[in-house]
Amino acid sequence: MARRNREIGKAGWGYTAITSVVGFIYFFPVFWIILTAFKTRTDALATPPKLFFTPTLDNFTSVFYRASITTGTSQATDMGLYFFNSIFIAGTSVGLALIVGTLAAYAFSRYPLRGNDTYLFIILTTRMMPPIVVIIPIFLMFRLSGLAGSYWGIILLYTAFNIPFSVWLVKSFFDELNPEIEDAARMDGATEGRVFFRFCIPQILAGLSATFVFGLILTWNEFLFALLLTGVETRTVPVAMARTLGGEVGVDYGLLAAIVTLFLIPIFFVTFLLQNQLLRGVTFGTVKK
Amino acid sequence: MADAAHHRGGFGAWLLDPKRRGALLVTPAIAILFVMNIFPLMWSFGLSFFNYKASSLKVPKFKGLDNYHDVLTDEKVWERFQTTAIIVSASVVLQLIIGFLLALMFAKAFPMRRIVLMLVLTPMMLSFVSVGVFFKLFYEPTFGIVSFVINLFTEERFVLLGSPEGAIAGIVIADAWMWSPFVMLLVLAGLVSVPKYLYEAAEIDRASAWRRFWTITFPYIKSLLLLAVLFRTIETFKLFDIVYIITEGGPGSTTETIAVYLYRTAFQFFKTSQSSALAYIVLFIVIVLTNLYLYAVNRRAEEID
Amino acid sequence: MTIELRQLTKRFGTLTAVDAIDLNVGDGEVLCLLGPSGCGKTTTLRMIAGLELASEGDVLLGGTKVNNRTARERNVAMSFQFYALYPSLTVAENLAFPLHGEKLDKAEIARRVAKISETLQLGGILNRTPGQLAEGEKQRVAVGRSIIRDPSCFLFDEPLSRLDVQLREEMRGEIKLVLQDLSKPTVIVTHDQLEALTMADRIAVMRDGRIEQVDTPHNVFQRPANLFVAGFIGTPQMNLLPATLTGSNGTTADFAMTGGQTMTIEVDPRVSELSPGAKVTLGIRPRNLEISREPIEGGISTTIDIVEPMGAETLAHLNDGHHDLRLVTDWRVPLAEGDRVHTRFPPGATHIFTEDEQVLRTP
Repeated sequence: MARRNREIGKAGWGYTAITSVVGFIYFFPVFWIILTAFKTRTDALATPPKLFFTPTLDNFTSVFYRASITTGTSQATDMGLYFFNSIFIAGTSVGLALIVGTLAAYAFSRYPLRGNDTYLFIILTTRMMPPIVVIIPIFLMFRLSGLAGSYWGIILLYTAFNIPFSVWLVKSFFDELNPEIEDAARMDGATEGRVFFRFCIPQILAGLSATFVFGLILTWNEFLFALLLTGVETRTVPVAMARTLGGEVGVDYGLLAAIVTLFLIPIFFVTFLLQNQLLRGVTFGTVKK
Repeated sequence: MADAAHHRGGFGAWLLDPKRRGALLVTPAIAILFVMNIFPLMWSFGLSFFNYKASSLKVPKFKGLDNYHDVLTDEKVWERFQTTAIIVSASVVLQLIIGFLLALMFAKAFPMRRIVLMLVLTPMMLSFVSVGVFFKLFYEPTFGIVSFVINLFTEERFVLLGSPEGAIAGIVIADAWMWSPFVMLLVLAGLVSVPKYLYEAAEIDRASAWRRFWTITFPYIKSLLLLAVLFRTIETFKLFDIVYIITEGGPGSTTETIAVYLYRTAFQFFKTSQSSALAYIVLFIVIVLTNLYLYAVNRRAEEID
Repeated sequence: MTIELRQLTKRFGTLTAVDAIDLNVGDGEVLCLLGPSGCGKTTTLRMIAGLELASEGDVLLGGTKVNNRTARERNVAMSFQFYALYPSLTVAENLAFPLHGEKLDKAEIARRVAKISETLQLGGILNRTPGQLAEGEKQRVAVGRSIIRDPSCFLFDEPLSRLDVQLREEMRGEIKLVLQDLSKPTVIVTHDQLEALTMADRIAVMRDGRIEQVDTPHNVFQRPANLFVAGFIGTPQMNLLPATLTGSNGTTADFAMTGGQTMTIEVDPRVSELSPGAKVTLGIRPRNLEISREPIEGGISTTIDIVEPMGAETLAHLNDGHHDLRLVTDWRVPLAEGDRVHTRFPPGATHIFTEDEQVLRTP
């Protein structure tokens, strides 16, 4: 029975179909890359482009192993190391930034000091600043101190890079808590440490994990710092990708697509899980709802 | 109770005084930011008054404001600012239009909304490098999908990145594709903040769709639209990775944004002092824009209360 | 013009919010839908407006079925609980808003706005935006916006719930005056019985999606149809005491109360339909109890538990060892906590409810 659906703000499966088409068109570039990752070299370069083909996992294997020309046996590429670097560097620096940032965020939220706004402004500005502006002196600093190409250097830099973001985002979560609960705990004799760890932190745990994951994505995707400050041993995936693109013997698009696809997987999960926090995350906590 | 700390005395007690607790908690963050951001910036501020080149061992000479004078009178710099301005305005306008339309589409509740929404949100979460790689591949003249589609209509070989206009369009499309979902999110936030009863009242008052939009919807999203414009302007102003991957500034230097130009001056020509001066000019612009942005944020916060 | 609801039903999933209600509102009549929150009164109103679709049953406006018409096609006027004033428009623009769909010329619109602002004394605030208005002013504008057009009926959703007590009293009178001039069928949703009793021509008391009683304010109060209405209408609440009928003689009946005391009360003659031993609930309003220091014929003896002075009157809680009886008397009557008093239910003041919670009363 075709009954007119007039309830404001609600739509049915027909609407889902329309939006899915639009959504798919929007998603098409990503979809196309994923398809390319499963194509053989010939299929990937075919004109007209092939929509139907026999999928292969060759590109994925050759991300990590390639046949040695001399011996014919397969040999590990450095890509495994680069994936490890990306995870290790991002994980450590975001973790550090979260700890330091949470303390500062708590202070900004609970102990309004004179000049707080100025500090918050400076902190946000360091985040809004083009990385290229800071990188010039940092490059010199790292060269002089020998931090260039080391894990410590890039981790420290990424920690600094993530602090502003953590401070603003975590502060936005602290601001939403009801301070009366904390006051009640203080009246009952809880120490400041106890108030912080037992009452505040547990309440914003979801927000902290969201902050952590957002930081991971930002760091995981970062390119310019990594390009200039990592060495052969500490190179991250985005840099490796850019280098593959500028490869000497023509670009292997299937291989590149496979790297990109692998690099995408965590992003999908995160986007899905964090949908409700996405707005706050991408605006550094300046816009909540 | 508070006096107990004073009686114990000593540095520890002084440090842990409740009056200093806020400052104490902020210190580690400020310290790291100082070492990794503020100190380097002060250093490069100093350098911007010398003629230092990171590639040479010559002792730098003090040049006063010469670097600033050189940068500001350099035709090339103005060209780069112009290119950046064109890319920023084209991309932000495109993001606004697409993001706005997407938001209108997703403002309704419908089955599987979360999953469909994810398709649209993904681009924003990708790395610039990935997006650059995507579009570089699509624009490839022989087997890229964009060229293929164009070739269905015309026989001519289509090299999008071959002309300055085409290259700029290529960059703008990639950037707008990536960031329209951001605008969509902000507009959506505005749309859902409109109380439902206002739409019901408009229904009762028999308002036309046009009138309903301008009297109810638009007032609720205009502050968020302003935020979106400012935020995206700041971010696009920094555009580096996509340009670096897709066109490397070419053809010629027609797509060289200010960020790419800075990178070249600093790390390919090693004009360290000159690039520091330019970096400071860029920084100044960003600080002004950030101030505007925070002003808009605070104004919206007041509106909501 | 009339409003008629036939077997109107609304289900949200498995929950039945409105359960097959029938209701008529005549031309110029003001009907209040009164009930506790969640009883389905607002849903009913929204179904009349066309903002909510009926799951079953019909809505008729002026004798025409409008089930499939949208709100805009039904031509109703409605004032919302949160006023729903357009925040970006001034008061004058808000008032004129419903007229834009009517294809009126500017002079006519201005004339009508001027007329409404005179009726509701909005002259001084016409150029302000809703954010700059006090609650009472917002309320006036909302009412003004709903009456500026010439609709088929008027609907009000909790019109006074956001005002403070004093304003509420003032606005009650004002709205009543305005409604009298309109002579259109009007439905007001409220949970405040005082509001319903003062403004309505008839009240429909609702509970759990059903209408328990539709009657004039006087009858809903004086002649409640069942236990729910008896308990819901009136403050302080009616005393409702379980009792067993032990015998009756015409209009006089004997009841055994829990705890062993007995009462002899003059009640409705239909009490003879009950056989001795029947379980009943006796209802009496706190203002109707008679008390005395000396034992009364047919009464019971009680102790005063709590005395709450309410100004002109005093509320006292009497306890017979098993029941709490609320008593309201003139403030001059000396009552002290711990005093023993005797009370009886005077002739004609007692309502008898049978085990199925319906009243036993000669029509």
